[in-house]
Amino acid sequence: MNDTQLVLTIFAAMSLGTPLIFATVGEIITERAGILNLGVQGIMLVGAVSGFWATFETGSLILGVVVAMIAGAVFSLIHAFASITLRVSQIVSGLALTLFGTGLASFLGKAGSDPLVGEPARETFDPMLTSGIADWPVIGPLVFGHDIMVYVAWVVAGAASYYVFHTRMGLSLRAVGEDPASAESAGVNVAWVRYAHVMAGGALAGLGGAYFSLALVPTWQDDPIGAAGWIAIALVILASWRPWRAVFAAYLFGAATRIQFTLQTLGEPWSDIPSTILAMLPFVLAIVAMLALTSGKRARLLGAPAALAIPYFREQR
Amino acid sequence: MTARRLIVEPRGLASIQLTLLIPLLAVFAALIVGGVFLALTGDNPFSVYRHMVDTAFGSSRGLSETLISATPLILTGLAAAVAFKMLVWNIGAEGQFLLGAIFSSGMAIAMGDGAPAVVVVPVVVIAGGIGGALWASISAIPRVYLGVNEIITTLMLNFIALNLMNYLIFGSSSPWRDPAVSTFPSGRPIPDSGRLPEFFNRLDIGFIIAAVLALVAWFLIGKTRWGFEVQVVGDSPDTARYAGIGVPRKILGVFLLSGLFAGLAGGLYVAGPVGALDPRSLDLGLGFTGIIVAALARLNPVAVIPVGILMGALNNSGPSLQSIGVPPEIVIMLQGAILIFAVGGEFFIANRLRRPEKAPAGVAGLEAA
Repeated sequence: MNDTQLVLTIFAAMSLGTPLIFATVGEIITERAGILNLGVQGIMLVGAVSGFWATFETGSLILGVVVAMIAGAVFSLIHAFASITLRVSQIVSGLALTLFGTGLASFLGKAGSDPLVGEPARETFDPMLTSGIADWPVIGPLVFGHDIMVYVAWVVAGAASYYVFHTRMGLSLRAVGEDPASAESAGVNVAWVRYAHVMAGGALAGLGGAYFSLALVPTWQDDPIGAAGWIAIALVILASWRPWRAVFAAYLFGAATRIQFTLQTLGEPWSDIPSTILAMLPFVLAIVAMLALTSGKRARLLGAPAALAIPYFREQR
Repeated sequence: MTARRLIVEPRGLASIQLTLLIPLLAVFAALIVGGVFLALTGDNPFSVYRHMVDTAFGSSRGLSETLISATPLILTGLAAAVAFKMLVWNIGAEGQFLLGAIFSSGMAIAMGDGAPAVVVVPVVVIAGGIGGALWASISAIPRVYLGVNEIITTLMLNFIALNLMNYLIFGSSSPWRDPAVSTFPSGRPIPDSGRLPEFFNRLDIGFIIAAVLALVAWFLIGKTRWGFEVQVVGDSPDTARYAGIGVPRKILGVFLLSGLFAGLAGGLYVAGPVGALDPRSLDLGLGFTGIIVAALARLNPVAVIPVGILMGALNNSGPSLQSIGVPPEIVIMLQGAILIFAVGGEFFIANRLRRPEKAPAGVAGLEAA
């Protein structure tokens, strides 16, 4: 029963969705502070290469994850500085981060006398339980059969939701994203809040990248993450800026990514559908979701921060 | 604390020298960042950069290849420049480029060798522009009439376009696929009458078309009534509305023009140097590089030409780096760094920094509050 296509597909959708949860929750936190970060793709790649490298050198998965998160946070600092301190276009600055990060990750993977490219990961995230309750029908693999990061992603999404909606800091965060001038008058340091949350978002994106290179694609290659960073930006809208909803949005996209492999195994006529057409599915889904959710005034009702992507000039208060 | 801080104040109109100096400094700063990474990974940055300059400009063949690489970048740069000027965030030049390539190669294959090149070439090139504009309209129409943010839709359409091209070559026996090659799927060569004539080594007239279009764009934006109204909309949609300018139609027009330029880039590229719908030669991120071109050119259509040549030089020199053991990806890294510094430089063009003067205590007190 546990090796039916349905169970295998849902299992894979959860694995593929896990890095998307990290990156989407990170971007939600960033956007809640009023900063749009289109650099997610680049940050994830930097996290992927630095996490892979750290685990490769030390043999420690924990160090890999920590290094990836630090690299993601530090890398996103570039975007924070450009958009918060210099107040230049957040859109162009984020794209710059993605282009730079893409080149950097690829360069670092190939540079030097002993390049990483083609090397298998020294340690990988493996399922925590392989027998016992993990053998229970359906819920065994789906609930108990994953590696630890799948559960960490749940905790991250839940904790982020609690943080955003039920803590004082979360209230300041939302105030900064809605109306920075009023938040400032109420004694909130807008710049500080924005810096902190851009970096937190960067750390989570870095973690998402490392999940690719240490679990999903555990051999270093040029482009281990596909379009995950871009998808994460679209998932923010599908999750309507609520971190816990990112779990469902991410699993849905994990399923959309996985469906091409599942159909291959189902035989004709399903296997006749070209994989290149099925590969379009996540992107078509993102556009349909955009059209359905954000036409007219719906984006605001959905929860989009009012000050998103608008530079804040303290002097103009 | 406030008293020791630098004061930031808007500069108004920056001088021409400054608007030239800042982008040059951005390139220089990016070269330093790239140099640090090269040095850290055991290469001599000076000899790597020397090698790149030699490859790109050191010979007549190198120069013509640089201009071939520059041609699509001038056009994707224009695509970004006209859109961004009006705050239309078309991040989809990549996909519009590919649709241009699909339309142009499709048109050339459909027309075959029956008609003379004077007829076929213009039709093929224009088909590319139409392909790009149509692909842009998928994002433009929801943006203009439903208020759907174009950033994500244009981005997602890039990946759909890429998979569409892959489908035509790898996933089906479409007319674009070469039936003669069965071992590895590749694009069907475009008939000779659809190819752009070459005039300097392999350099074809695509480069001249791109440069002329840059001048046309400059004229259109800077010298016509339409361009003036577009600029008003870009500066302030409210002002434009009060002035009776039809804002939705202006945004739609700019969006489609942007897609047209990106589509022309793809069309000229397949009808020029590539000669077939070849995914390996077309999936190079030329649409994204166009954003760097536009930003470094400060959205000025004329400046897009020299900046496009600079980026073309980088792209052209990349593959040759493998011969000296340096990953060609240093080029993408340098281009990304150039964009980071160019966008940061906008701050120094828009603002002036000065040390606070010794102000009377009362004023300083106000500032601190």
